[in-house]
Amino acid sequence: MSDQSTKNDAYVRKFSFRPFTGLRRGRIFRMWSISWQWWIHEWDRSRAIKVLIGFQIFILFLTNIFVLTFKDIQLQADPTLTTGQILEDTLIPLVRGIVSFQTRIRGESAGHGDEFGTSFSIGGTSLFILLLAVLVGSGLIADDITNKTNEIYYSKLEKYEYIMGKFGAFFIFGNVMITLPYVLEFFLLYIGLGNMDFLAVLPVLVHVILFTELVNITYAAIILAFSSLTGRRLYAGLTTFMLLFLANMIVPSLAFAQGGEVGLQLLTDVLTLLLVSSYLLDGESIIRLDLLGREHTLNLANGIGIEGWMIIGSLGLFIFLGISIVILQVYRRHSA
Amino acid sequence: MSSDIITTDQLSKFYGSILGIHEVSIKVPPGGVGFLGPNGAGKTTLIRTLLGIIRPTKGTAHVLGYNIKSEINQVRDRIGYIPEFNTSFIPDMTAMKFVAFCGRMNGLANAESKQRASDSLYYVGLGEERYRKLGTFSLGMKQKVKLASALVHDPDIIIADEPTNGLDPTGRNQMLDLIKNLQIDQNKHVILSSHLLRDVEQTTDYAIVFSEGEILAQGKIKELTSGQRTSISVKVKFNEDLFIRNLKDKGYEVWDEGGFIEVKISSDTEKAIFNAAYTAGTEIRYFGSRSNTLEDVFVDLFQNKEGIK
Ligand SMILES: Nc1ncnc2c1ncn2[C@@H]1O[C@H](COP(=O)(O)OP(=O)(O)OP(=O)(O)O)[C@@H](O)[C@H]1O
Ligand SMILES: [Mg+2]
Repeated sequence: MSDQSTKNDAYVRKFSFRPFTGLRRGRIFRMWSISWQWWIHEWDRSRAIKVLIGFQIFILFLTNIFVLTFKDIQLQADPTLTTGQILEDTLIPLVRGIVSFQTRIRGESAGHGDEFGTSFSIGGTSLFILLLAVLVGSGLIADDITNKTNEIYYSKLEKYEYIMGKFGAFFIFGNVMITLPYVLEFFLLYIGLGNMDFLAVLPVLVHVILFTELVNITYAAIILAFSSLTGRRLYAGLTTFMLLFLANMIVPSLAFAQGGEVGLQLLTDVLTLLLVSSYLLDGESIIRLDLLGREHTLNLANGIGIEGWMIIGSLGLFIFLGISIVILQVYRRHSA
Repeated sequence: MSSDIITTDQLSKFYGSILGIHEVSIKVPPGGVGFLGPNGAGKTTLIRTLLGIIRPTKGTAHVLGYNIKSEINQVRDRIGYIPEFNTSFIPDMTAMKFVAFCGRMNGLANAESKQRASDSLYYVGLGEERYRKLGTFSLGMKQKVKLASALVHDPDIIIADEPTNGLDPTGRNQMLDLIKNLQIDQNKHVILSSHLLRDVEQTTDYAIVFSEGEILAQGKIKELTSGQRTSISVKVKFNEDLFIRNLKDKGYEVWDEGGFIEVKISSDTEKAIFNAAYTAGTEIRYFGSRSNTLEDVFVDLFQNKEGIK
């Protein structure tokens, strides 16, 4: 920069700003800028994101081919089966597979997806998507602490606008990486399988969207909370991943140790909670849990043991806790 | 309504029990103003309060007539802030993208933000480097990026907090020139916060002096210095020794400092200097105060304060 002095002086003399006369954009636009800027930047620089989204869509495409190939055999074997049911039986286990390590690693055996040997690979991708979500998302706030850019944000925006912008950023990630592929898959199956009433399968689409958005919110709350707690993206990422991983291991191992009883420990398991709540959204109160090869049933509306409200409550608690940590950190610690 | 750009009324900020600023009531006149004070004096605290980054414990303030509590977003859009910390921004983002992004956060539409980002980067002298990644920038260049991102949304006031920190003399001069030019050519109000007195003196005519969270003095730098000046600096040609002896014979205290002859001010010092020069047959080449006189003022003010305590 030492050689720039002459160049500089020239600029300083020549240059004059145009005054800004237009109207300034509103608050929503500004929050959205944070979200969009982050996403575009991550997309530009991260090859992993592009590879994964490509792989995700490729796998879903494969699933499609399997389903469509075996469609006629299935329909012949079971005359009561409809194409709408095949769509549901394929898509729901896939979507559920996003949040459970069991399905990620072992494949989902409760649904029909496994019969086609596809849920294992889709489980594989969703593991990487979680890994990526954690690694990329952990930088959302932590990087601002490391680089001290938060002072710049706070000098231009309200702190809650900053927080909303950061949540928004994760939602874009979640919607592109998680929601979008499954919505796409829904329409591919809908068109491919044919022969069904759109209104009849609409609940499946609603389920897919609600469920993946719930995943996005929960991930966002947890990942951003850890991101705001440390100035290091890597620490935040590893801690979050370990937490999610351990939480997922607790229930199956405890259940296994207790001879297959599903105890109240389920409440500690964020991801299993999501899994369970998916059934609630679906309007079913009885769920089947496949714990290390043994199937258990759980009635969520019989007043015994685990109930639906507990699950929604504890899920809400996690989201609430996560958001509270972020707010507390941003308002108290980062700008005392 | 006065023409003052910033007024504060009994503004106080405590960090828990640590004092940041205490009942600061100032009126910042338009043009260029220096916030002067040693480390920990409360300059940054005041600036961050004005921008709504931290909430005042007590008191109110107005920036360009807008209340910092109820109209903070109006205030923010009219201030360009150069924070004091050394930042690496977003290291793998280009300068252009970062500055445009800053513009959008202040409400510029997309196309406008890009146009103005480019303008601002040219203005600070980074036009050629605007598509380079920020992580590859030197400290001096990063400081200029900070300035560009403070200018992009066309604010009326630029607040620069220790903008010369860590810069070499060239970088420092460039920075101060840029800031001074904003005031002269672009009609911006400029606030320069620094513990370096020469920085302030080089950039603005008016200073507000801070110490331990309070305002010690404020006024035109010339006026602040005149009453406090303790010596006159002279440079002479021919018969220097005789000139000095003449003055010493008259009872004046004379010493040599940095190539200047310093004469301690007592009664009629100026007249005596000219008389001494006349009788010694010397030619006075320079007559005035040293360039760091404000430093003396500063030291004096602190000593007075210590004395009062
Ligand atoms: N976040 C904080 N938490 C606690 N105390 C703080 C915080 N920020 C500043 N202080 C204290 O407030 C006082 C004023 O600090 P401030 O940073 O405003 O001074 P300054 O004049 O900007 O100094 P410098 O020249 O070092 O930048 C100091 O005693 C400092 O320790
Ligand atoms: Mg400071």
